[in-house]
Amino acid sequence: MTALVRPRTLFIGLGLLCLLASWLSLALGPVSLPLFDTLRAALRLLGLPVAGDGLEQAELILGQIRLPRTLLGLAVGGVLALSGVAMQGLFRNPLADPGLVGVSSGAALGAAFAIVAGSALGGVPEALGPYVLSLCAFLGGLGVTALVYRLGRHNGRTHVATMLLAGIALTALSGSAVGLFTYLADDATLRTLTFWNLGSLNGASYARLWPLLLVSAGVAVWLPRRARELNALLLGESEAAHLGIDVERLKRELVFCTALGVGAAVAAAGMIGFVGLVVPHLVRLMAGPDHRVLLPASVLAGASLLLFADLVARLALAPAELPIGIVTAFIGAPFFLYLLLRGRA
Amino acid sequence: MRLNLRVAALCVVLLVSQGALAADLPQRWVSAGGALSEWACALGGESKLVGVDTTSQHPDSLRALPGIGYQRQLSAEGVLSLRPQILVGTEEMGPPPVLAQIRAAGVQVELFSAAPNLTALQDNLRHLGQLLGTEDRARAMFEDYQMRLSQHGARVNEARLKQKAPGVLLLVGSAGGKPLIAGKDTAADWLLQQAGGHNLATHSGYKPFSVETLASLDPEVLIFADRALRGEEARVALFKENPILSSTRAARDGRVIELDPTLLVGGLGPRLPQSLVTLTNAFYPVQVP
Repeated sequence: MTALVRPRTLFIGLGLLCLLASWLSLALGPVSLPLFDTLRAALRLLGLPVAGDGLEQAELILGQIRLPRTLLGLAVGGVLALSGVAMQGLFRNPLADPGLVGVSSGAALGAAFAIVAGSALGGVPEALGPYVLSLCAFLGGLGVTALVYRLGRHNGRTHVATMLLAGIALTALSGSAVGLFTYLADDATLRTLTFWNLGSLNGASYARLWPLLLVSAGVAVWLPRRARELNALLLGESEAAHLGIDVERLKRELVFCTALGVGAAVAAAGMIGFVGLVVPHLVRLMAGPDHRVLLPASVLAGASLLLFADLVARLALAPAELPIGIVTAFIGAPFFLYLLLRGRA
Repeated sequence: MRLNLRVAALCVVLLVSQGALAADLPQRWVSAGGALSEWACALGGESKLVGVDTTSQHPDSLRALPGIGYQRQLSAEGVLSLRPQILVGTEEMGPPPVLAQIRAAGVQVELFSAAPNLTALQDNLRHLGQLLGTEDRARAMFEDYQMRLSQHGARVNEARLKQKAPGVLLLVGSAGGKPLIAGKDTAADWLLQQAGGHNLATHSGYKPFSVETLASLDPEVLIFADRALRGEEARVALFKENPILSSTRAARDGRVIELDPTLLVGGLGPRLPQSLVTLTNAFYPVQVP
């Protein structure tokens, strides 16, 4: 597979796309604001001295609802796509997605525990209440991934194939545990669980946003620095080792970054499928397999895709809202099929 | 004594402020809660409603209003786009960050209890009456409701003296497929008890049943609430998907009753007393001499 687009052109294009998506995400919503008001309110939010009369509503909607939502979409989309690249690089398999090392199923388990058992346990401190779900999802993802990684290690080496199988086994195990919680849940918690599993950028607030922004910024800075190592890994593990790369360390970093990034994304927005799987493919189709381009370009593409999906989610049924997981899978699944069939031809 | 005076003074202040507020009551309402929407309509607030959630299905006219989605999964901007002055809903309404955003936009957000008991209903009706400016009507309606329920209770007690409470199962399903059985701690269980039935299910919440369990319980009366189909269609679908049901006593005696599933969500609604009468009639058929 060779590059169809020169990296420079690709970055400019994706950068513009991401800007466009962000602007649309700020400018469009169920409440229709005049474009001029949106502009003025945006300038005021940037701290510029613009006359603010009659802008209270626009400023509130832009500052308190759409801006945190847009930032959440950017961070979640970017980090999911990036983790997808990391996983596909690690497993040297284009079908790998961040769920493979158990982070998604672990997070789902944590969330199910928080939703179903949380109300039964009671005694959660008032201040912590709203964050229990996110915290449990994050810890669940991290915990299961750590276990998968541990199971893949033998004699100081990480066996990717073992890790993959361990991931499948633990995913099934978490799935059955989630099923048990589902069985124990009452009607109302069941619906909460269902909606959580479909993901949503709805109700984004700054308090929940900062941890994710920090984590995803960290991951987005760190992973692209490993682009050359990932390229070498494409040749095979021993080949990469012969090229002087500390393969064990690289694997550890990839798994850790994925667990951290996806864990934080899922904790903030629930399960959002297919971004991590499909976006790296999309970018690879355009730019080829060089991770130096693939990694940063995937961040931009993932962020843009998620924002566009969110636009559909919030506008399609307004004033009600679609869970975003439905939209991403709706776009992602046909594309994935296309890739499969195209490969066969 | 001094305390009493203070309390009295506080009450006076509250009453006066209520009176002053009556002039500018909220005119644009969004309701997220089936029973609440029904009560609001019953209290004459139907014309004020500009949006409802998915659980608000009665009266039928509400279905024409813009839908704000499921009560636990509201969208802040979606609700705001209807320019409401007030958002009413049960305690289940959420998620909390969205409610905070809606409040920040200057919309009054009022929460009501969804508990199936008369105290909660009394509070809810009083509160709704204040917000709609129809306090007298709300009070009268509650008294009437209370009276109908206590009359009904008396009737059930009387019937129980003559006949043992029939064993009942309540199935909730969609288009007949895989129904869930209503167990303890559900609104359905409360409804069965009020109507004088004996719920054979002993688990808590709504759970799927195994064929064996059902056969061994052998209910005298089956009640089914179908979310997708109505009337005869729903009954046919239920028996077609679950043939074992035809061998129960209830099916052989033709004691299979339909129930509107919307009665089971969001607390006590205005249509409840009437359904209780229907259920009790089925539980205790009039003996032909």
